[in-house]
Amino acid sequence: MKRTKIMSIIVAAALSVTMLASCATTTATTTAEATAAAETTKAATDTTVAETTAAADTAGEYKEATLTLLIDSDQPLAGLEAVCALAKEKLGITVEIETRLGGSDGDNIVKTRLASGDMADLCVYNSGALLSALNPTEYFIDISGQDFVSKLDDTYKGTVTIDSKTYGIPVSSTQAGAVLYNKEMYAKYNLTVPKTWDEFIANCQVLKDAGETALIGAFADSWTSQVAFLGDNYNVISAAPNFPADLEAGTAKYASTPSALRSWEKLAETTPFYNKDYLATTYDDACDMLANGEGAHWFMLTMALSNIYGLYGNDVVNNIGVFAIPGDDASDNGLTVWMPSSIYGNRNSDKAEDIIRFMQFYVSDEALNTYAATILPDGPYCVKGYSLPDNAYQAVAKDMQAYFDAGKTGTALEFMTSVKGADCPAICVECGTGQTTGAEAAAKYDEDCYKQAIQLGLDWAE
Amino acid sequence: MNCKKYSTWFVVPALAIFTLFFLIPMISSLFFSMTVWNFDSFTFNGVKNFELFFTDDSLSIGIKNTIVYAVLTCLLKVILAFLIAIFLTGKIKTKNFLRSVVFFPNLVSTVAVGITFSALMHPSKGLINKVLEFINIPAVDWLGNTNLALFSVIATDVWKGVGIATVIYIAGIQSIDRSYYEAAAIDGATGWEQLKCITLPLVRPAMNSVIILAFIGGMRSFDLIWAMTGGGPGFATDVMASIIYKQYAAGYYGLSTAGNVIMFVLIAGLAYPLQKYLLSKEVR
Repeated sequence: MKRTKIMSIIVAAALSVTMLASCATTTATTTAEATAAAETTKAATDTTVAETTAAADTAGEYKEATLTLLIDSDQPLAGLEAVCALAKEKLGITVEIETRLGGSDGDNIVKTRLASGDMADLCVYNSGALLSALNPTEYFIDISGQDFVSKLDDTYKGTVTIDSKTYGIPVSSTQAGAVLYNKEMYAKYNLTVPKTWDEFIANCQVLKDAGETALIGAFADSWTSQVAFLGDNYNVISAAPNFPADLEAGTAKYASTPSALRSWEKLAETTPFYNKDYLATTYDDACDMLANGEGAHWFMLTMALSNIYGLYGNDVVNNIGVFAIPGDDASDNGLTVWMPSSIYGNRNSDKAEDIIRFMQFYVSDEALNTYAATILPDGPYCVKGYSLPDNAYQAVAKDMQAYFDAGKTGTALEFMTSVKGADCPAICVECGTGQTTGAEAAAKYDEDCYKQAIQLGLDWAE
Repeated sequence: MNCKKYSTWFVVPALAIFTLFFLIPMISSLFFSMTVWNFDSFTFNGVKNFELFFTDDSLSIGIKNTIVYAVLTCLLKVILAFLIAIFLTGKIKTKNFLRSVVFFPNLVSTVAVGITFSALMHPSKGLINKVLEFINIPAVDWLGNTNLALFSVIATDVWKGVGIATVIYIAGIQSIDRSYYEAAAIDGATGWEQLKCITLPLVRPAMNSVIILAFIGGMRSFDLIWAMTGGGPGFATDVMASIIYKQYAAGYYGLSTAGNVIMFVLIAGLAYPLQKYLLSKEVR
């Protein structure tokens, strides 16, 4: 009896020791890294101080380093890669780009890696509402004190600033959520750019009667279904300027605010015009369809222009025009603008000063020139004093610029308030496919926002 | 009295692992399911999370779909596998080859099966619709039609899972004593009567295993549904597991944990009585 008792104690002890040993090794390595990092940061702080006092636009000193960067695969990468190549040449920083999924699977990946401490040095993620869901104070470097932050456009800065701490720099230009249309098809059927929603539906009807696909739907990638709804934000805010604040406070609801409900109703009205297999059409398929004239309209972010340009070249992309999602007032047509995704620095990385160096370089003129030379902008840039290049897409230089010049732009709702329901794509798919009416979808989305409000700790009455 | 040959101290290591990896997480899950949680801090909010699961349409559809999915896959697997097993325990020459063919789908990765079948079920480019077109039947939107999508996924799940059910049945049928059949043949029983009176009752233990495994597996199913439809179109094919996954992805950790608790209660609440009932019906 005594021997078995001793044996079981030994076995239990061996088990616990092995478990603790594995924990201990990881702590040992992290403490070793931390001390090494502390030494390098201390040595580098003197040089960083010297750098920031020097001229703001210089490339910075050359020091070899390797940074890892995590970005979603839906974003066009060519511009980023070009800037990274230049960074290697000028700064000695090699950036290893790692791609991840987009959509909600991608959100999951980012959140899990942040929580487990396994995030890359640089993380590319959305700005605005989605950023606040990540808990940036905990995970991202606060760059408010840096010089280059003053170069960023104020509206953009507002979307990456939480509690007066700024976290990100823009990865690309702004873009708009609007209707991309095939100019050739418009010319063929003698259609003009619609100024009201009814005119738009009439255009779609003409195309449908002629046997063409009036509207492309890429619902296999469910995030694309949201653009028709979210891109209508300019019209919502025009009629109800206090909507974002009221929504966040819990006093306004989509179902009870007429202009917000109208967005859902408009989405429901698009159901009869979609292409045949729109539930199985992916984002890439849809880009092809629009470029090849297989569909006339597509509710999409203007980043699709860059995808089309990359695949088909200048002539094809200049055949695509952009118009803002029309409201019911012909005299008030405005573009809903999306702030670009941002690059955030990992707070738990030991290469903080390399990260800052890279970020400073990224918003410098020479980096922006390199980016613009590779990928033309999908909208104006967020860096003050930098203008569109001469060879920008027609859709951007003429169509979109007209809205900016006239001051008829507004940002998307996710940049005005942190309330954005997590099931928005699914609810938009349901509404767009005709499974729910506009009113039902609005009510469902209100419920969804309510779930999010609870998570954010907002005190809503419902 | 030497009844106990082994000291109870032998249980300690296993008990330690069980407590650490099963009991403690289970209790902490129960606790966190009643909070709003973001891994660092939590705020207690009572049964609010559970309320949401029953009132919110996009969440409660998961409960309904899960039960439909589990019952249908279980039923289809039990019936189809039995028929296939009867066939494969009969007098055919290519028995072994056929058995491997039937078992093969079970060996393939579920995600691979999901991706393959969603390509096959593509409304215009998919092979299934092309074949239907060839024989002049109009194309069906297998995964896009909200009424049909869940059943398409169920069909794929049955295709994949029928193999292992068949193997269990074959083992069960082969364990039936030959003498019963001989006695029945002497008494002049037809093949059908032999099936009904000898095989069916005596294969009960195997059938019970298949029922329980298929039912619990169906209730927990996630990877196939996620790979084929992602819970879509809209919410039509959302089951508990995929809803829990979506809530987790959205960062609603407390809500996701509440979903897990509901799933646990649902499975335990349905599977345990089912098993007791089935065991009581077993012959000998």
